[in-house]
Amino acid sequence: MTTPASRTGPISGESGPAGTPPPIELADLSVMIGGQGGDGTLTVSDLLGRYFRKCGLYVYTSRNVLSRIRGGHADASVRASRDPISAVKPEVDVLVAFDNEAVEMGRAELAAHGYVIYDSTGFHVDLPNASGFPFATLVGGPLGQPIFKNTAAYGALSVLLGFDVAKTREVIEERFKRRGGEALEKNLKALEIGRKAALEVTGLAGRFSVAEGDAHDLILTTGNQAVALGFVVGGGRFFAGYPITPATEVMEYLQRYLPSFGGVVRQAEDELAAVNMILGAAYAGARVMTSTSGPGLSLMTEGIGQAGTAEIPIVVADCQRVGPSTGQPTRHEQSDLSHLANLGHGEYPRFVIAPSDPADCFSMTVEALNLAEKWRVPVILLLDQALCQNTATSARFDLGRAHVDRGKRLTAADLPQMTEYKAYRFSDDGISPYAAPGTPGLWAEITGNEHDEWGHVSVNPTNRVRMMKKRMGKMVQARDDLPPCRLFGAPDAKVGLIGYGSTSGPILETQAILAARGVKTRYLQARTVYPVPVHEIDPFLKSVDVAYVIEHNYTGQFARLLRETLPWHHAKLRSILKYDGYTFRTPQIIAGIPEVA
Amino acid sequence: MVQSAKPTAPIWCPGCGDFSLLAAVKKAAANLKIPAHDLVLVGGIGCSGSIHNFLEVNGIHALHGRLLAQAVGVKLANPHLTVVAAGGDGDGYAIGMGHFMHAFKKNASILYIVMNNETYGLTKGQPSPTSQIGFEGNIEAPFDAILSALSIPAPNFLARTFSGDPKTMTAVLEEAIRFNHEHRGFAFVEDLSPCVTYNDTYKLWREKVVDVSKLPGYDPTDRKSMFRLYLETTEAGKIPIGVFHRPAEVARAGLEAKLLGENVGPARSEISVESNLAAYQKLLAGVA
Repeated sequence: MTTPASRTGPISGESGPAGTPPPIELADLSVMIGGQGGDGTLTVSDLLGRYFRKCGLYVYTSRNVLSRIRGGHADASVRASRDPISAVKPEVDVLVAFDNEAVEMGRAELAAHGYVIYDSTGFHVDLPNASGFPFATLVGGPLGQPIFKNTAAYGALSVLLGFDVAKTREVIEERFKRRGGEALEKNLKALEIGRKAALEVTGLAGRFSVAEGDAHDLILTTGNQAVALGFVVGGGRFFAGYPITPATEVMEYLQRYLPSFGGVVRQAEDELAAVNMILGAAYAGARVMTSTSGPGLSLMTEGIGQAGTAEIPIVVADCQRVGPSTGQPTRHEQSDLSHLANLGHGEYPRFVIAPSDPADCFSMTVEALNLAEKWRVPVILLLDQALCQNTATSARFDLGRAHVDRGKRLTAADLPQMTEYKAYRFSDDGISPYAAPGTPGLWAEITGNEHDEWGHVSVNPTNRVRMMKKRMGKMVQARDDLPPCRLFGAPDAKVGLIGYGSTSGPILETQAILAARGVKTRYLQARTVYPVPVHEIDPFLKSVDVAYVIEHNYTGQFARLLRETLPWHHAKLRSILKYDGYTFRTPQIIAGIPEVA
Repeated sequence: MVQSAKPTAPIWCPGCGDFSLLAAVKKAAANLKIPAHDLVLVGGIGCSGSIHNFLEVNGIHALHGRLLAQAVGVKLANPHLTVVAAGGDGDGYAIGMGHFMHAFKKNASILYIVMNNETYGLTKGQPSPTSQIGFEGNIEAPFDAILSALSIPAPNFLARTFSGDPKTMTAVLEEAIRFNHEHRGFAFVEDLSPCVTYNDTYKLWREKVVDVSKLPGYDPTDRKSMFRLYLETTEAGKIPIGVFHRPAEVARAGLEAKLLGENVGPARSEISVESNLAAYQKLLAGVA
């Protein structure tokens, strides 16, 4: 996007002393904030995100925390840009450090012009472009508690980045107004303490300026929030879950949203109960979902199998994290795909669909509910930690395209045309019209045992074969209903890129960097990952000489699935893999492509 | 009249205690005039769990041990339905123990019937959580579901019946379902249902059962005295049957009533985008 030149000037703020060099204007900046858990790094990240939004900038924030509430290193990064962004910037422009570990971790990524602001209460940073302030001591005296040091740091940062004073204050007011008078008042004081301290340092004020953008009326949200909103709008009215990082927020948002729509949210005693509660509710005719992550998914696997064979429509959001076992609960990975493609014992149909950003999460959650009910199958909404928990700016979610498709659901109105009701009636498309319990005059047997059309237990071999074909055939029959892939870049490019989920962000930015260097690539963003959309991926692979499958796991799970499904393209597929718990940075993807590296 | 699924013939051994329970459920549903389409029977895994196939109802065969979670899901989705979960002691007290204890806490207005035969019948006679010490080499203490249920301070309806006394059984089931219909909460009925093939306890149980309501000091609204009465009876080598907890009337204490009030519930809500448009616009406008 372009911005008129007249609007690209720095935001007015304090200017530095006369004679100082002009500010370095940042049109795409990254601030990293690190410290011990409890230092308030996420609050600083939130405040910055709010400020940049006020400036009409696109924002992307990520966090890197430990699975504990206090202590241990935690950091967050905030990126703001005049252009749309959907990934962490490889370089850090400003580092805010509350502990030495933040400096150790952040300095490698610090840009040449980068600057460090740190809390000198407990340590010293020996770098030329660094200013230490004893934030904890500065606020501890007048405000009685050192916890306000993060807001003081935000104040110092606002000076360094040449923030507008009024907007800087507004952000504090918005953030703390709900907590009431004293919290707001003390935070405003902390802000002034930080600002004053920074203004006293020669050469700090206005060292940078932040460009203003024209990206207004955007929302700043996470994938988890978008999934919750999509669930409501898609007619979801029953949710059961069990707390697990990084999926918990879906349940928390729904606890806020659903009751006013007559919906029910239950925190179950475990994931077994959660999946079985939604099975019961879906059987009863409600639109349902649960959200979980790897360990919970393992426990839910038996229930998802029942959904497949008993033809009960459920949606399971899998917020992938580092596995197996407890793994790294707060870190990013995409390593559940192989499990999902082969989910459970026995064979049954399932659709695994993967949104890439919050807007996609919103619309695909609506779609997941439609697909589940129309085809009477379990649908897995495949998410990942970065998508679930990082925040990204997004256009307001589009209600205009949202619709509810209940498929061949039977109601009392259908009775006059019916002579018999078989819940598992054979049909051309494999879908049997279903009447929820309570539909006057109709009842049925629903079971995970192999069954005949009436739902009666059956060991008849002919029936078994027909029922298997009816169910498994859905994965072929539904092809045109499943979310289509998206293609980006030059249609005549010979270098292909393939990915899904939040990895789309860094892949798209990589593509832009390469395009600027004159290297053409074409990116296929898979939005249905299972069943593998052969009709989309085959022509794509035909059009390129080589395709890099970029994903966050050790074994190249998506690439393996593609090789298995499209063996004739075996030789063209390469993997670019990352499984250290962090998301891809663009240089890491570029380094994996020998054609351009 | 549209033809829906017809009941199939029971797969149980002749003389199985589950036949009495099946007959009592049928009779209770008929006496209470519950139409087949409004009655949901959630079956567990095991001989007893196949009961939903033998009745003209909405039947759902749950996963092993998970019938309570599914039954609660059904009730919360459509509180208008009469929901009966029925399974065995292995299903409920072994693999399903977690959900069993939580069901008392949750207090959804469903009826849970455990056909307790103190063995795993369908897999040919292994010891179950309620097996007596010595049965098939069992060296673990038998689990007492009623005693455990009494320990949870929730307004549940708690009873035990005996398949050798079908008349009382029907009356207890009717009372339990009426309790559910009033949205008062969870009703639990353990039926002593002998396995004639692997653990035929008819004769023994007939000698040991004691109608708790006939005992001095019986007051099922008073948990404390019922604990005492129950323990005294079991420690005397008897098996108490009857109603052990009948909470003083608490209006709409059932989970579904607390959550939904007068709402029709998730399964019957109007969910088209058009009919919710204004509320959805407001919801999305609140996202900053």
